[in-house]
Amino acid sequence: MQARRYLDNFDWVLFFAIAFVSAVGVGVIYSATTGTPMAGAFHRQLAWLGLGFLVMLLAIVIDYHTLAEFSYVFYALALVLLALTLAFGRVVNASRSWLGVGGFQFQPSEIAKGATILLLAAYLGRERAPSSRPGLGFITFSSICGIVGLPVFLVMMQPDLGTAVTFVPLLAGATFLAGIRLRTIVILALIVALALPLAWSHLKPYQKERVKIFLEPTRDPKGSGYQLIQSLIAVGSGGVLGKGFMAGTQGQLQFLPEQHTDFIFAVLAEERGLLGSLLMLGLYFLIIYRCVITARAARDGLGVFLAMGVVCVFACQALLNIGVVVGLLPTTGVPLPLMSYGGSSLVNTLMSFGLVLNVWMRRLVN
Amino acid sequence: MYRASKDLQDYYEESRLNTRITVIQVLFGAVLVLYLMAFWYLQVVKADYYRKLSDNNRLRRVTLAPLRGLITDQAGHVLTNNRIAFNVRLDREKVTDLRHRLPDLSRILGTSETVLRERLAKARTRPRFEPVILKEDVDLAEAAYIESRRLELPELSVEVESRRNYLYGPLAAHVLGYVGEASEKDIKDHPELGYDLGEIIGKAGVERRYDEELKGVKGWKQAVVNSLGREIEEIDEGRRATPGHTLRLTLDLDLQRVLEQAYGDEAGSAVFLDPGSGAVLAMISRPAFDPNVFARRFSQDTWDAMDRDPRHPLQDRSSLSKFAPGSVFKVVMSIAALEEKVAGPERGDHCNGSWRFGDKVYQCWAIRKGGHGYLTMREAIIQSCNIYFYHLGNDMGIDRISKWAHLLGFGEPTHIDLPHETAGTVPDPEWKKVAVPNDPVWHPGETISVSIGQGAIEVTPLQMAVFASTIANGGTVYKPHLIRSIEVREGVEEENRQSMAVRTLHLAPRTLQVIKDAMWGVVNEDGTGVRAKIAGRDVCAKTGTAQVFKASRDVDADKLPKEKRDHAWFVGFAPRDNPQIAWAVFVQNGGHGGTTAAPIARAVLERFFQKQDARVGAPQLASASVPR
Repeated sequence: MQARRYLDNFDWVLFFAIAFVSAVGVGVIYSATTGTPMAGAFHRQLAWLGLGFLVMLLAIVIDYHTLAEFSYVFYALALVLLALTLAFGRVVNASRSWLGVGGFQFQPSEIAKGATILLLAAYLGRERAPSSRPGLGFITFSSICGIVGLPVFLVMMQPDLGTAVTFVPLLAGATFLAGIRLRTIVILALIVALALPLAWSHLKPYQKERVKIFLEPTRDPKGSGYQLIQSLIAVGSGGVLGKGFMAGTQGQLQFLPEQHTDFIFAVLAEERGLLGSLLMLGLYFLIIYRCVITARAARDGLGVFLAMGVVCVFACQALLNIGVVVGLLPTTGVPLPLMSYGGSSLVNTLMSFGLVLNVWMRRLVN
Repeated sequence: MYRASKDLQDYYEESRLNTRITVIQVLFGAVLVLYLMAFWYLQVVKADYYRKLSDNNRLRRVTLAPLRGLITDQAGHVLTNNRIAFNVRLDREKVTDLRHRLPDLSRILGTSETVLRERLAKARTRPRFEPVILKEDVDLAEAAYIESRRLELPELSVEVESRRNYLYGPLAAHVLGYVGEASEKDIKDHPELGYDLGEIIGKAGVERRYDEELKGVKGWKQAVVNSLGREIEEIDEGRRATPGHTLRLTLDLDLQRVLEQAYGDEAGSAVFLDPGSGAVLAMISRPAFDPNVFARRFSQDTWDAMDRDPRHPLQDRSSLSKFAPGSVFKVVMSIAALEEKVAGPERGDHCNGSWRFGDKVYQCWAIRKGGHGYLTMREAIIQSCNIYFYHLGNDMGIDRISKWAHLLGFGEPTHIDLPHETAGTVPDPEWKKVAVPNDPVWHPGETISVSIGQGAIEVTPLQMAVFASTIANGGTVYKPHLIRSIEVREGVEEENRQSMAVRTLHLAPRTLQVIKDAMWGVVNEDGTGVRAKIAGRDVCAKTGTAQVFKASRDVDADKLPKEKRDHAWFVGFAPRDNPQIAWAVFVQNGGHGGTTAAPIARAVLERFFQKQDARVGAPQLASASVPR
């Protein structure tokens, strides 16, 4: 009975948009890696995609209220995994961000992202005393900072700045949605003003270099600036119609760095041109739009914060990645959710969308 | 949406929440519109610009190496050229299991597995598509064997390259030098020469000094490459490489061969010059090496072995090693005394075998027969009497000795056209302050030692040859040089017209006459150089026997009996009137100069005069061979 009604209320538009974008991603990975040492990556990506849809199904079927009740458990588990990573993780590109179980490797920082969204939504969406004033007080605000800050701290210890940055929109979005009192903003502004110079001095030299390169891309044509220029050449030379599947010289001749992860959209833009870029941008916007609609329609605070948490993280990461590809933002090393090669990120993204589909499906009160 | 349990506060809060969701939605939408514009700008407005950049990106200029210029002797006999060499290469992309393939490859190539593994290990950081050279310089038969089995051995291929070839092996090795791959240091030290990593460049000798002339001009072609530099297809011919210039040396292959043969297995050096120009006719440093071994790619081990060899075959003893001049310095003393008017040629002195000066006794080598007795300057030179020159040096003082040593070319580089040389040492009180801070005061006894060419004074064989040619030509110090001409275009040679005169000493005719006559006597009047006497050629020379003074002072002499043997010098020119050739022959630990060094000079001189006679057509007899 109920199952039938849930199925009628399923957001097929969102689901198919997600499925289509991730399928295109596998195709672009195939084109970008054929003839390179990463050849065969699309096989692995397909396997991860299958696992991702299974996890997504779980996240749809179990009532999100039930999931929220156990959010503390998930969150604690994620923190333990992050701690284990710091202790036993594998070092790739100078970051200790991979954890292996047998021959199976994954990034706990991605799992932590999903767990944090869930706990934050559960915390903000809880029933409150009717007398309480609207907006976040200093105590509440500090608590949500702590919820987000703890995993961010552990991820930065790895150190994986790119992934750590993707937690920030979650905090910003949640704070904005819940509303914040003027006094809290003032205190916050003071802390940030004091901490910023301190943070700059604590950045690793290569991280500072990234910011400087963005301000002046020709500064280092073989380093980060080189990546930026190669990406612009790839996108621009694609033209309106693109060079065709497997025919993009920038990607096929391996001028593009990280072409199957951070710069996958550049490969797409080169081979599929403006038409392909616009189609994919449109699909990304459709996904974001459907999530926002879900938030509006949610039957309670938990649902609102859950859907908005997911969309903030997803949208910011996608916009950050594409912004880098078109040269509007500095190189951050953030992969494009749904399309970039990488199993942990894909599974976490699909799981998150499972939660959103869950909220939509259960938007109507019995 | 209607919810039953909502009070007013909740209602306001919810509408505020909706507003905020809208704000976020609009924000994302705005960024998306911005991105749409960015894609429009890049892919429509700037599409042509980026299309051009993308084309340039995949086109790569590939450098074409030029053929290195030849090196010939003065008559055009080729000393150094280039030959074709075959290398067997392995394409790692075509082998699935290299480890299991190694025994087979080892058997086919006749190279041990260890060596193959080493060569593969060195290439580990290079891109996989780049072939690895497994065996260098195989002969034609082996190259043909590999080539004809391309079906069975698809992973092996034969590469043809040009290789530097020294036709006479170790002949004049230190003059010619050798080539090798440009190192990162070479590139950093000479950015103006535009070296590429691994390019073959001159590393020593003429090869290095004239690298710019020899190396030619690189050509280039266009090829499609990927970002790893892998060539995918060739587009068109760009510019052909221009071969390097041919260098014509001043060396005479005939004389050089005679010298190499006459020198035998001794260590040391010999330099023969044209006293009229400073042109080097023959030059040798021993022990030598075969520069062909450095032309190979795997030459690091060979180089290391030679570098560690206690006999130091890589050291150019003609211009980089300095030794005490020994008795040859008595000629410098005589010139200084005559020119400074400290003494005339008639100055007489008595030698009884030893002389007490201060608290030390200085000996003459003739002490066993009770000394030389009474001598004039000419006799003192011929007999090589020490006592005569102790007294003369004491009368003259170190400053005048040092002044004339410098004027005659000692204590300063000769500026020969080789990459490196040492200036040697001409000691004086100023020098000692800097060089011996523990004992900065000049002692009169040191002047006595220097007077017979011992003590701190050290000269190179090349400086000695320049000195001999200065006496021979009547006082002009020439810059010794190795290049006669450079072929700038096919068939067009540019003569080396540089002025080679460093300075002209206006020596008094009487000084020259006395010195030349004494040196004639050394060879022709039963003096120490009688073994170089050639009838009718009026050979003039001075022998020298340098005690291995410095080496034995610090070390226990008994432990080094071989190294304690004296160094032998034989320095001179011929014929006495109108000299055609001047030389310095130096034999390390060779004992007495007249015994070991003189016969070497004689062999070269005989060949030199034989050739000269053949050129003139009839034997040119010397006018008189009577001592004056």
